Amino acid sequence: MPTLRLPSSPPRLWPRFAERLRSPAVTARVGRVLGLAIGICFVTGLLSGYQYHPWTWLPEPAHPVWGYRLTQGLHVTTGIASIPLLLVKLWSVYPRLFAWPPARSLVHLVERLSIGVLVAVALIELMTGFLNVLGWYAWPWPFVAVHRFLGFVLAGSVLLHVAVKLPVIRAALSRPVAADEPAGGGLTRRGLLTATGAGVTLAVITTVGQSVGRLEPLGLLAPRRPSTGPQHVPVNKTAAQARVRRVAADWRLEVRGPRPFTLGLAELEAGATTRADLPIACVEGWSVDARWHGLPLLDLVRRAGGNADSTVYVHSLQAHGAYSHSLIDGPQLAGALLATHLNGERLDLDHGYPVRLIAPDRAGVLNTKWLALVEVR
Amino acid sequence: MSVTRWLIGSAGVVLIGWGALRLLTEIPDGDLVALAIWLAVAVAVHDGVLAPLTALAGAMINRFVPGRLRRFVSGALVAGVGITAISIPLLLRENTQPAAKALLRQNYAVHLAWLWVIIGGTAAGLYVVRIVRDARATRGR
Repeated sequence: MPTLRLPSSPPRLWPRFAERLRSPAVTARVGRVLGLAIGICFVTGLLSGYQYHPWTWLPEPAHPVWGYRLTQGLHVTTGIASIPLLLVKLWSVYPRLFAWPPARSLVHLVERLSIGVLVAVALIELMTGFLNVLGWYAWPWPFVAVHRFLGFVLAGSVLLHVAVKLPVIRAALSRPVAADEPAGGGLTRRGLLTATGAGVTLAVITTVGQSVGRLEPLGLLAPRRPSTGPQHVPVNKTAAQARVRRVAADWRLEVRGPRPFTLGLAELEAGATTRADLPIACVEGWSVDARWHGLPLLDLVRRAGGNADSTVYVHSLQAHGAYSHSLIDGPQLAGALLATHLNGERLDLDHGYPVRLIAPDRAGVLNTKWLALVEVR
Repeated sequence: MSVTRWLIGSAGVVLIGWGALRLLTEIPDGDLVALAIWLAVAVAVHDGVLAPLTALAGAMINRFVPGRLRRFVSGALVAGVGITAISIPLLLRENTQPAAKALLRQNYAVHLAWLWVIIGGTAAGLYVVRIVRDARATRGR
Protein backbone atom coordinates (compact mmCIF):
# COMPACT_ATOMS: atom_id res chain seq x y z
CA MET A 1 0.00 0.00 0.00
CA PRO A 2 1.45 3.41 -0.92
CA THR A 3 2.16 5.59 2.06
CA LEU A 4 1.96 9.34 2.10
CA ARG A 5 4.71 10.94 4.16
CA LEU A 6 3.40 13.82 6.25
CA PRO A 7 5.23 15.92 8.80
CA SER A 8 4.67 14.58 12.30
CA SER A 9 3.14 17.85 13.44
CA PRO A 10 0.61 20.01 11.53
CA PRO A 11 1.58 23.23 9.70
CA ARG A 12 1.94 26.37 11.79
CA LEU A 13 -1.45 27.85 10.76
CA TRP A 14 -3.36 24.58 11.22
CA PRO A 15 -6.32 25.18 13.59
CA ARG A 16 -5.74 24.06 17.18
CA PHE A 17 -8.38 23.73 19.86
CA ALA A 18 -7.82 24.08 23.57
CA GLU A 19 -11.44 23.40 24.39
CA ARG A 20 -12.03 21.46 27.59
CA LEU A 21 -15.80 21.13 27.09
CA ARG A 22 -15.67 19.00 23.98
CA SER A 23 -15.31 15.34 24.89
CA PRO A 24 -16.66 11.92 23.94
CA ALA A 25 -18.70 12.08 27.18
CA VAL A 26 -20.74 14.92 25.66
CA THR A 27 -20.69 13.70 22.04
CA ALA A 28 -21.90 10.20 22.92
CA ARG A 29 -24.77 11.53 25.05
CA VAL A 30 -25.98 14.04 22.46
CA GLY A 31 -25.39 11.48 19.71
CA ARG A 32 -27.47 8.87 21.51
CA VAL A 33 -30.53 11.14 21.49
CA LEU A 34 -29.84 12.32 17.93
CA GLY A 35 -29.51 8.72 16.74
CA LEU A 36 -32.81 7.85 18.38
CA ALA A 37 -34.52 10.88 16.80
CA ILE A 38 -33.15 10.04 13.35
CA GLY A 39 -34.22 6.41 13.84
CA ILE A 40 -37.80 7.47 14.65
CA CYS A 41 -37.71 9.89 11.73
CA PHE A 42 -36.58 7.13 9.37
CA VAL A 43 -39.17 4.56 10.46
CA THR A 44 -42.07 7.03 10.46
CA GLY A 45 -40.84 8.25 7.06
CA LEU A 46 -41.07 4.68 5.73
CA LEU A 47 -44.61 4.42 7.14
CA SER A 48 -45.52 7.66 5.40
CA GLY A 49 -44.04 6.41 2.14
CA TYR A 50 -46.22 3.32 2.47
CA GLN A 51 -49.32 5.52 2.60
CA TYR A 52 -48.50 6.66 -0.92
CA HIS A 53 -47.30 3.34 -2.35
CA PRO A 54 -48.93 0.44 -0.48
CA TRP A 55 -48.52 -3.13 -1.69
CA THR A 56 -51.77 -4.39 -3.21
CA TRP A 57 -51.86 -7.42 -0.91
CA LEU A 58 -51.43 -5.31 2.23
CA PRO A 59 -53.76 -2.30 2.17
CA GLU A 60 -53.29 0.52 4.67
CA PRO A 61 -55.03 -0.19 7.99
CA ALA A 62 -57.88 2.06 9.14
CA HIS A 63 -57.14 1.74 12.85
CA PRO A 64 -56.17 3.52 14.91
CA VAL A 65 -57.84 6.38 13.02
CA TRP A 66 -55.10 8.71 14.34
CA GLY A 67 -52.28 6.39 13.23
CA TYR A 68 -50.92 8.63 10.48
CA ARG A 69 -51.47 11.68 12.64
CA LEU A 70 -49.18 10.15 15.25
CA THR A 71 -46.51 8.79 12.94
CA GLN A 72 -46.25 11.85 10.72
CA GLY A 73 -46.42 14.23 13.68
CA LEU A 74 -43.52 12.24 15.15
CA HIS A 75 -41.68 12.38 11.84
CA VAL A 76 -41.75 16.15 11.58
CA THR A 77 -41.27 16.75 15.32
CA THR A 78 -38.25 14.44 15.62
CA GLY A 79 -36.87 16.05 12.47
CA ILE A 80 -37.17 19.50 14.05
CA ALA A 81 -35.68 18.23 17.34
CA SER A 82 -32.75 16.81 15.37
CA ILE A 83 -31.73 20.27 14.12
CA PRO A 84 -30.36 21.60 17.46
CA LEU A 85 -29.09 18.12 18.35
CA LEU A 86 -27.13 17.90 15.11
CA LEU A 87 -25.65 21.38 15.56
CA VAL A 88 -24.44 20.60 19.09
CA LYS A 89 -23.20 17.16 18.05
CA LEU A 90 -21.19 18.63 15.17
CA TRP A 91 -19.85 21.38 17.43
CA SER A 92 -18.64 18.78 19.91
CA VAL A 93 -16.51 16.99 17.31
CA TYR A 94 -15.42 19.95 15.20
CA PRO A 95 -11.73 19.80 16.26
CA ARG A 96 -11.56 16.27 14.90
CA LEU A 97 -11.95 17.75 11.42
CA PHE A 98 -8.40 19.04 11.90
CA ALA A 99 -6.96 15.83 13.34
CA TRP A 100 -3.34 15.30 12.39
CA PRO A 101 -2.41 13.43 10.29
CA PRO A 102 -5.59 13.84 8.18
CA ALA A 103 -5.56 10.10 7.50
CA ARG A 104 -3.46 7.36 9.07
CA SER A 105 -4.33 4.69 6.51
CA LEU A 106 -6.60 3.98 3.58
CA VAL A 107 -9.24 2.53 5.92
CA HIS A 108 -9.04 5.62 8.10
CA LEU A 109 -9.40 7.82 5.00
CA VAL A 110 -12.52 5.91 3.91
CA GLU A 111 -13.94 6.25 7.41
CA ARG A 112 -13.34 10.00 7.38
CA LEU A 113 -14.96 10.34 3.96
CA SER A 114 -17.96 8.35 5.20
CA ILE A 115 -18.30 10.86 8.03
CA GLY A 116 -18.24 13.62 5.43
CA VAL A 117 -21.15 11.91 3.66
CA LEU A 118 -22.99 11.50 6.98
CA VAL A 119 -22.62 15.18 7.85
CA ALA A 120 -23.60 16.40 4.38
CA VAL A 121 -26.64 14.14 4.12
CA ALA A 122 -27.77 14.93 7.69
CA LEU A 123 -27.59 18.67 7.07
CA ILE A 124 -29.40 18.52 3.72
CA GLU A 125 -32.03 15.97 4.80
CA LEU A 126 -33.02 17.97 7.89
CA MET A 127 -32.90 21.32 6.13
CA THR A 128 -34.87 20.33 3.03
CA GLY A 129 -37.34 18.40 5.18
CA PHE A 130 -38.06 21.51 7.24
CA LEU A 131 -38.24 23.77 4.17
CA ASN A 132 -40.72 21.34 2.62
CA VAL A 133 -42.99 21.85 5.63
CA LEU A 134 -42.92 25.55 4.75
CA GLY A 135 -43.77 24.80 1.11
CA TRP A 136 -40.40 26.19 0.07
CA TYR A 137 -38.92 24.18 -2.78
CA ALA A 138 -35.65 26.01 -3.29
CA TRP A 139 -34.00 23.12 -5.16
CA PRO A 140 -34.50 21.63 -8.62
CA TRP A 141 -34.86 17.93 -7.72
CA PRO A 142 -38.13 16.14 -6.92
CA PHE A 143 -38.43 16.47 -3.14
CA VAL A 144 -40.27 13.31 -2.13
CA ALA A 145 -38.10 10.80 -4.01
CA VAL A 146 -34.80 12.42 -3.01
CA HIS A 147 -35.90 12.90 0.62
CA ARG A 148 -36.81 9.24 0.74
CA PHE A 149 -33.62 7.89 -0.83
CA LEU A 150 -31.41 10.25 1.16
CA GLY A 151 -33.26 8.98 4.24
CA PHE A 152 -31.87 5.51 3.54
CA VAL A 153 -28.38 6.92 3.06
CA LEU A 154 -28.67 8.92 6.29
CA ALA A 155 -30.00 6.02 8.39
CA GLY A 156 -27.33 3.73 6.93
CA SER A 157 -24.56 6.28 7.54
CA VAL A 158 -25.67 6.64 11.18
CA LEU A 159 -25.53 2.85 11.64
CA LEU A 160 -22.11 2.64 10.01
CA HIS A 161 -20.86 5.50 12.19
CA VAL A 162 -22.19 3.79 15.32
CA ALA A 163 -20.49 0.54 14.29
CA VAL A 164 -17.14 2.28 13.77
CA LYS A 165 -17.34 4.28 17.00
CA LEU A 166 -18.99 1.67 19.22
CA PRO A 167 -16.00 1.14 21.56
CA VAL A 168 -15.63 4.91 22.06
CA ILE A 169 -19.38 5.31 22.58
CA ARG A 170 -19.51 2.45 25.08
CA ALA A 171 -16.55 3.75 27.03
CA ALA A 172 -17.98 7.28 27.11
CA LEU A 173 -21.45 6.19 28.21
CA SER A 174 -20.19 3.79 30.86
CA ARG A 175 -18.64 6.62 32.91
CA PRO A 176 -20.27 9.61 34.59
CA VAL A 177 -20.45 12.61 32.29
CA ALA A 178 -18.24 14.72 34.56
CA ALA A 179 -15.55 12.05 35.00
CA ASP A 180 -12.08 13.42 34.12
CA GLU A 181 -13.58 16.82 33.32
CA PRO A 182 -10.87 19.48 33.63
CA ALA A 183 -11.59 22.20 36.18
CA GLY A 184 -12.20 25.75 35.08
CA GLY A 185 -14.83 28.46 34.82
CA GLY A 186 -17.53 28.54 32.23
CA LEU A 187 -20.04 25.97 31.12
CA THR A 188 -19.63 22.44 32.44
CA ARG A 189 -20.38 19.28 30.49
CA ARG A 190 -23.51 18.78 32.56
CA GLY A 191 -24.49 22.40 31.94
CA LEU A 192 -23.98 21.95 28.20
CA LEU A 193 -26.20 18.86 28.14
CA THR A 194 -28.86 20.69 30.18
CA ALA A 195 -28.76 23.69 27.84
CA THR A 196 -28.97 21.40 24.80
CA GLY A 197 -31.95 19.59 26.33
CA ALA A 198 -33.61 22.91 27.07
CA GLY A 199 -33.02 24.07 23.49
CA VAL A 200 -34.47 20.87 22.02
CA THR A 201 -37.48 21.08 24.36
CA LEU A 202 -38.05 24.69 23.36
CA ALA A 203 -37.87 23.87 19.65
CA VAL A 204 -40.36 21.03 20.15
CA ILE A 205 -42.92 22.81 22.31
CA THR A 206 -42.94 25.90 20.09
CA THR A 207 -43.64 23.82 16.96
CA VAL A 208 -45.54 20.69 17.99
CA GLY A 209 -48.75 22.71 18.39
CA GLN A 210 -49.33 22.22 14.67
CA SER A 211 -49.86 18.52 15.37
CA VAL A 212 -51.23 18.54 18.93
CA GLY A 213 -54.33 20.71 19.24
CA ARG A 214 -53.99 21.46 22.95
CA LEU A 215 -50.49 22.85 22.45
CA GLU A 216 -51.43 25.12 19.54
CA PRO A 217 -51.32 28.30 21.72
CA LEU A 218 -47.65 27.50 22.47
CA GLY A 219 -46.81 27.18 18.79
CA LEU A 220 -44.86 30.43 18.52
CA LEU A 221 -42.61 28.97 15.83
CA ALA A 222 -45.12 26.49 14.41
CA PRO A 223 -45.33 26.82 10.62
CA ARG A 224 -49.10 26.21 10.86
CA ARG A 225 -51.78 27.35 13.27
CA PRO A 226 -54.43 24.76 12.34
CA SER A 227 -57.37 26.47 14.05
CA THR A 228 -56.94 29.59 11.91
CA GLY A 229 -57.81 27.73 8.70
CA PRO A 230 -61.30 27.88 7.20
CA GLN A 231 -63.71 25.85 9.39
CA HIS A 232 -60.78 25.45 11.83
CA VAL A 233 -58.87 23.19 9.46
CA PRO A 234 -55.83 24.23 7.38
CA VAL A 235 -55.77 23.72 3.63
CA ASN A 236 -52.86 22.08 1.86
CA LYS A 237 -53.89 23.12 -1.65
CA THR A 238 -56.43 25.88 -2.18
CA ALA A 239 -59.12 25.72 -4.84
CA ALA A 240 -57.35 28.51 -6.70
CA GLN A 241 -54.06 26.57 -6.66
CA ALA A 242 -55.88 23.48 -7.96
CA ARG A 243 -57.59 25.69 -10.58
CA VAL A 244 -61.02 24.73 -9.32
CA ARG A 245 -62.66 28.14 -9.60
CA ARG A 246 -66.29 27.30 -8.95
CA VAL A 247 -68.53 24.29 -9.23
CA ALA A 248 -71.17 24.33 -11.98
CA ALA A 249 -74.84 24.37 -10.91
CA ASP A 250 -75.49 21.17 -12.86
CA TRP A 251 -72.60 19.34 -11.12
CA ARG A 252 -73.33 15.64 -10.60
CA LEU A 253 -71.18 12.99 -8.98
CA GLU A 254 -70.69 10.17 -11.44
CA VAL A 255 -70.34 6.68 -9.98
CA ARG A 256 -68.99 4.09 -12.43
CA GLY A 257 -69.20 0.37 -11.86
CA PRO A 258 -71.28 -2.64 -12.90
CA ARG A 259 -74.41 -0.52 -12.18
CA PRO A 260 -73.40 3.08 -12.89
CA PHE A 261 -75.43 6.05 -11.65
CA THR A 262 -75.10 9.73 -10.90
CA LEU A 263 -75.98 11.84 -7.86
CA GLY A 264 -77.06 15.46 -7.91
CA LEU A 265 -76.21 18.03 -5.26
CA ALA A 266 -79.63 17.87 -3.57
CA GLU A 267 -79.63 14.09 -3.42
CA LEU A 268 -76.09 14.05 -2.10
CA GLU A 269 -76.80 16.55 0.66
CA ALA A 270 -80.05 14.81 1.64
CA GLY A 271 -78.18 11.54 2.14
CA ALA A 272 -75.25 13.06 4.03
CA THR A 273 -76.36 12.05 7.50
CA THR A 274 -73.51 9.84 8.65
CA ARG A 275 -71.15 11.47 11.14
CA ALA A 276 -67.48 10.61 11.53
CA ASP A 277 -64.95 12.14 13.90
CA LEU A 278 -61.72 11.72 12.00
CA PRO A 279 -58.52 13.70 12.28
CA ILE A 280 -56.96 15.00 9.10
CA ALA A 281 -53.18 14.70 9.10
CA CYS A 282 -50.89 16.14 6.46
CA VAL A 283 -47.54 14.78 5.29
CA GLU A 284 -46.16 18.18 6.30
CA GLY A 285 -46.83 17.32 9.93
CA TRP A 286 -49.88 19.39 10.81
CA SER A 287 -52.99 17.60 11.93
CA VAL A 288 -56.29 18.46 13.52
CA ASP A 289 -59.40 16.76 14.88
CA ALA A 290 -62.46 17.27 12.70
CA ARG A 291 -66.13 16.32 12.59
CA TRP A 292 -67.39 15.27 9.20
CA HIS A 293 -70.86 14.53 7.83
CA GLY A 294 -71.45 12.72 4.59
CA LEU A 295 -72.33 9.44 2.89
CA PRO A 296 -70.44 6.22 3.58
CA LEU A 297 -68.42 5.57 0.42
CA LEU A 298 -69.15 1.85 0.73
CA ASP A 299 -72.92 2.53 0.35
CA LEU A 300 -72.29 4.12 -3.05
CA VAL A 301 -69.89 1.35 -4.00
CA ARG A 302 -72.51 -1.30 -3.19
CA ARG A 303 -75.19 0.62 -5.09
CA ALA A 304 -72.86 0.65 -8.11
CA GLY A 305 -72.48 -3.13 -7.89
CA GLY A 306 -69.23 -3.32 -5.91
CA ASN A 307 -68.51 -4.49 -2.38
CA ALA A 308 -66.03 -4.09 0.48
CA ASP A 309 -63.38 -5.92 -1.56
CA SER A 310 -63.63 -3.50 -4.50
CA THR A 311 -60.81 -1.21 -5.49
CA VAL A 312 -62.16 2.31 -5.74
CA TYR A 313 -60.67 5.32 -7.52
CA VAL A 314 -61.91 8.80 -6.73
CA HIS A 315 -61.26 11.61 -9.20
CA SER A 316 -61.29 15.34 -8.58
CA LEU A 317 -62.50 18.28 -10.63
CA GLN A 318 -58.86 19.30 -10.35
CA ALA A 319 -57.60 18.51 -13.84
CA HIS A 320 -53.88 18.14 -13.18
CA GLY A 321 -51.54 17.11 -10.41
CA ALA A 322 -50.47 13.87 -8.74
CA TYR A 323 -53.26 14.13 -6.17
CA SER A 324 -56.18 14.83 -8.52
CA HIS A 325 -57.20 11.21 -7.91
CA SER A 326 -56.53 8.47 -5.39
CA LEU A 327 -57.08 4.79 -4.80
CA ILE A 328 -58.89 3.47 -1.76
CA ASP A 329 -59.53 -0.12 -0.78
CA GLY A 330 -59.53 -2.53 2.16
CA PRO A 331 -60.12 -1.28 5.70
CA GLN A 332 -59.91 2.39 4.69
CA LEU A 333 -62.71 1.90 2.15
CA ALA A 334 -64.95 0.48 4.87
CA GLY A 335 -64.36 3.55 7.05
CA ALA A 336 -64.42 6.19 4.31
CA LEU A 337 -66.92 8.99 3.99
CA LEU A 338 -67.81 11.20 1.06
CA ALA A 339 -67.99 14.32 3.19
CA THR A 340 -70.24 17.28 2.51
CA HIS A 341 -69.90 18.97 5.91
CA LEU A 342 -66.92 19.88 8.06
CA ASN A 343 -67.24 20.90 11.71
CA GLY A 344 -70.97 21.51 11.31
CA GLU A 345 -70.80 23.69 8.18
CA ARG A 346 -71.17 23.02 4.50
CA LEU A 347 -67.70 22.21 3.13
CA ASP A 348 -65.68 25.29 2.19
CA LEU A 349 -64.58 25.42 -1.46
CA ASP A 350 -60.95 25.22 -0.28
CA HIS A 351 -61.81 22.04 1.64
CA GLY A 352 -63.28 20.34 -1.43
CA TYR A 353 -66.85 21.57 -1.97
CA PRO A 354 -69.14 20.04 -3.10
CA VAL A 355 -67.84 16.71 -1.76
CA ARG A 356 -64.52 15.21 -0.72
CA LEU A 357 -63.14 11.92 0.51
CA ILE A 358 -62.18 11.49 4.16
CA ALA A 359 -60.93 8.17 5.49
CA PRO A 360 -59.37 6.99 8.75
CA ASP A 361 -55.57 6.79 9.16
CA ARG A 362 -55.04 8.24 5.69
CA ALA A 363 -52.47 10.83 4.60
CA GLY A 364 -54.24 14.17 4.17
CA VAL A 365 -53.51 14.72 0.51
CA LEU A 366 -54.94 11.30 -0.38
CA ASN A 367 -58.35 12.47 0.86
CA THR A 368 -59.18 13.78 -2.60
CA LYS A 369 -61.20 17.02 -2.79
CA TRP A 370 -63.75 18.44 -5.29
CA LEU A 371 -64.91 14.98 -6.35
CA ALA A 372 -66.40 14.45 -9.79
CA LEU A 373 -66.12 10.72 -10.34
CA VAL A 374 -66.05 7.53 -8.27
CA GLU A 375 -64.85 4.46 -10.15
CA VAL A 376 -65.61 1.02 -8.70
CA ARG A 377 -63.35 -1.74 -10.00
CA MET B 1 -14.25 -6.48 15.84
CA SER B 2 -17.33 -7.79 17.60
CA VAL B 3 -20.27 -9.46 15.87
CA THR B 4 -22.51 -6.57 17.00
CA ARG B 5 -20.34 -4.03 15.25
CA TRP B 6 -20.23 -6.11 12.08
CA LEU B 7 -24.02 -6.49 12.08
CA ILE B 8 -24.70 -2.80 12.68
CA GLY B 9 -22.09 -1.76 10.14
CA SER B 10 -23.34 -4.20 7.50
CA ALA B 11 -26.92 -3.03 7.98
CA GLY B 12 -25.65 0.52 7.52
CA VAL B 13 -23.80 -0.34 4.32
CA VAL B 14 -26.90 -2.10 2.93
CA LEU B 15 -29.11 0.95 3.64
CA ILE B 16 -26.55 3.35 2.15
CA GLY B 17 -26.22 1.15 -0.91
CA TRP B 18 -29.99 0.90 -1.35
CA GLY B 19 -30.49 4.65 -1.01
CA ALA B 20 -27.59 5.43 -3.35
CA LEU B 21 -28.79 2.90 -5.92
CA ARG B 22 -32.30 4.37 -5.96
CA LEU B 23 -30.88 7.89 -6.21
CA LEU B 24 -28.58 6.99 -9.09
CA THR B 25 -31.19 5.02 -11.04
CA GLU B 26 -34.33 7.09 -10.44
CA ILE B 27 -33.19 10.70 -10.20
CA PRO B 28 -32.21 12.52 -13.43
CA ASP B 29 -28.48 13.29 -13.80
CA GLY B 30 -28.98 17.05 -13.72
CA ASP B 31 -30.81 16.83 -10.40
CA LEU B 32 -28.09 14.58 -8.99
CA VAL B 33 -25.46 17.15 -9.89
CA ALA B 34 -27.52 19.84 -8.14
CA LEU B 35 -27.92 17.57 -5.11
CA ALA B 36 -24.17 16.90 -4.99
CA ILE B 37 -23.52 20.64 -5.08
CA TRP B 38 -26.01 21.27 -2.26
CA LEU B 39 -24.43 18.51 -0.16
CA ALA B 40 -20.94 19.91 -0.67
CA VAL B 41 -22.05 23.49 0.01
CA ALA B 42 -23.87 22.42 3.18
CA VAL B 43 -20.67 20.93 4.62
CA ALA B 44 -18.57 23.85 3.41
CA VAL B 45 -20.93 26.41 4.98
CA HIS B 46 -21.16 24.49 8.25
CA ASP B 47 -17.49 23.61 8.61
CA GLY B 48 -16.13 26.72 6.95
CA VAL B 49 -18.43 29.45 8.25
CA LEU B 50 -20.81 28.43 11.05
CA ALA B 51 -18.39 26.35 13.07
CA PRO B 52 -15.54 28.93 12.96
CA LEU B 53 -18.02 31.68 13.91
CA THR B 54 -19.18 29.57 16.83
CA ALA B 55 -15.58 28.98 17.87
CA LEU B 56 -14.97 32.73 17.63
CA ALA B 57 -18.06 33.44 19.75
CA GLY B 58 -16.78 30.93 22.32
CA ALA B 59 -13.36 32.60 22.37
CA MET B 60 -14.97 36.03 22.81
CA ILE B 61 -17.03 34.78 25.73
CA ASN B 62 -13.96 33.26 27.35
CA ARG B 63 -12.04 36.48 26.82
CA PHE B 64 -14.60 39.10 27.85
CA VAL B 65 -17.25 37.52 30.06
CA PRO B 66 -16.23 37.13 33.72
CA GLY B 67 -15.90 33.59 35.05
CA ARG B 68 -19.05 33.15 37.08
CA LEU B 69 -21.33 34.69 34.44
CA ARG B 70 -19.70 32.85 31.56
CA ARG B 71 -21.48 29.54 31.95
CA PHE B 72 -24.89 31.20 31.93
CA VAL B 73 -24.12 33.19 28.76
CA SER B 74 -22.79 30.08 27.01
CA GLY B 75 -25.73 27.99 28.22
CA ALA B 76 -28.25 30.55 26.95
CA LEU B 77 -26.58 30.63 23.52
CA VAL B 78 -26.62 26.83 23.30
CA ALA B 79 -30.29 26.71 24.36
CA GLY B 80 -31.27 29.29 21.74
CA VAL B 81 -29.40 27.90 18.75
CA GLY B 82 -32.16 25.50 17.66
CA ILE B 83 -35.07 27.94 17.72
CA THR B 84 -32.91 30.53 15.96
CA ALA B 85 -31.95 28.08 13.22
CA ILE B 86 -35.55 27.09 12.50
CA SER B 87 -36.68 30.73 12.67
CA ILE B 88 -34.50 31.79 9.74
CA PRO B 89 -36.59 30.10 7.02
CA LEU B 90 -39.79 30.99 8.90
CA LEU B 91 -38.79 34.67 8.80
CA LEU B 92 -37.78 34.50 5.14
CA ARG B 93 -41.07 32.89 4.14
CA GLU B 94 -43.47 34.70 6.46
CA ASN B 95 -46.77 35.76 4.83
CA THR B 96 -46.01 34.18 1.47
CA GLN B 97 -48.92 31.72 1.52
CA PRO B 98 -52.69 32.04 0.97
CA ALA B 99 -54.62 32.61 4.22
CA ALA B 100 -56.58 29.37 3.89
CA LYS B 101 -53.42 27.33 4.37
CA ALA B 102 -52.97 28.73 7.89
CA LEU B 103 -49.27 28.52 7.01
CA LEU B 104 -46.50 31.00 7.90
CA ARG B 105 -48.91 33.66 9.10
CA GLN B 106 -47.32 34.42 12.46
CA ASN B 107 -45.03 37.28 13.44
CA TYR B 108 -42.00 35.08 13.87
CA ALA B 109 -39.55 37.91 14.59
CA VAL B 110 -41.56 39.00 17.63
CA HIS B 111 -42.06 35.40 18.75
CA LEU B 112 -38.35 34.65 18.43
CA ALA B 113 -37.54 37.80 20.38
CA TRP B 114 -39.90 36.70 23.16
CA LEU B 115 -38.31 33.27 23.28
CA TRP B 116 -34.87 34.88 23.59
CA VAL B 117 -36.24 37.04 26.42
CA ILE B 118 -37.40 33.85 28.15
CA ILE B 119 -34.03 32.16 27.62
CA GLY B 120 -32.12 35.26 28.73
CA GLY B 121 -34.41 35.74 31.73
CA THR B 122 -33.98 32.13 32.79
CA ALA B 123 -30.19 32.35 32.47
CA ALA B 124 -30.21 35.65 34.43
CA GLY B 125 -32.39 34.09 37.13
CA LEU B 126 -30.04 31.11 37.45
CA TYR B 127 -27.09 33.50 37.62
CA VAL B 128 -28.71 35.44 40.48
CA VAL B 129 -29.41 32.20 42.32
CA ARG B 130 -25.77 31.30 41.90
CA ILE B 131 -24.58 34.67 43.25
CA VAL B 132 -26.86 34.41 46.29
CA ARG B 133 -25.70 30.86 46.99
CA ASP B 134 -22.04 31.80 46.64
CA ALA B 135 -22.58 34.79 48.97
CA ARG B 136 -24.25 32.57 51.59
CA ALA B 137 -21.48 30.01 51.31
CA THR B 138 -18.89 32.76 51.85
CA ARG B 139 -20.77 34.16 54.87
CA GLY B 140 -21.19 30.70 56.36
CA ARG B 141 -17.45 30.19 56.41
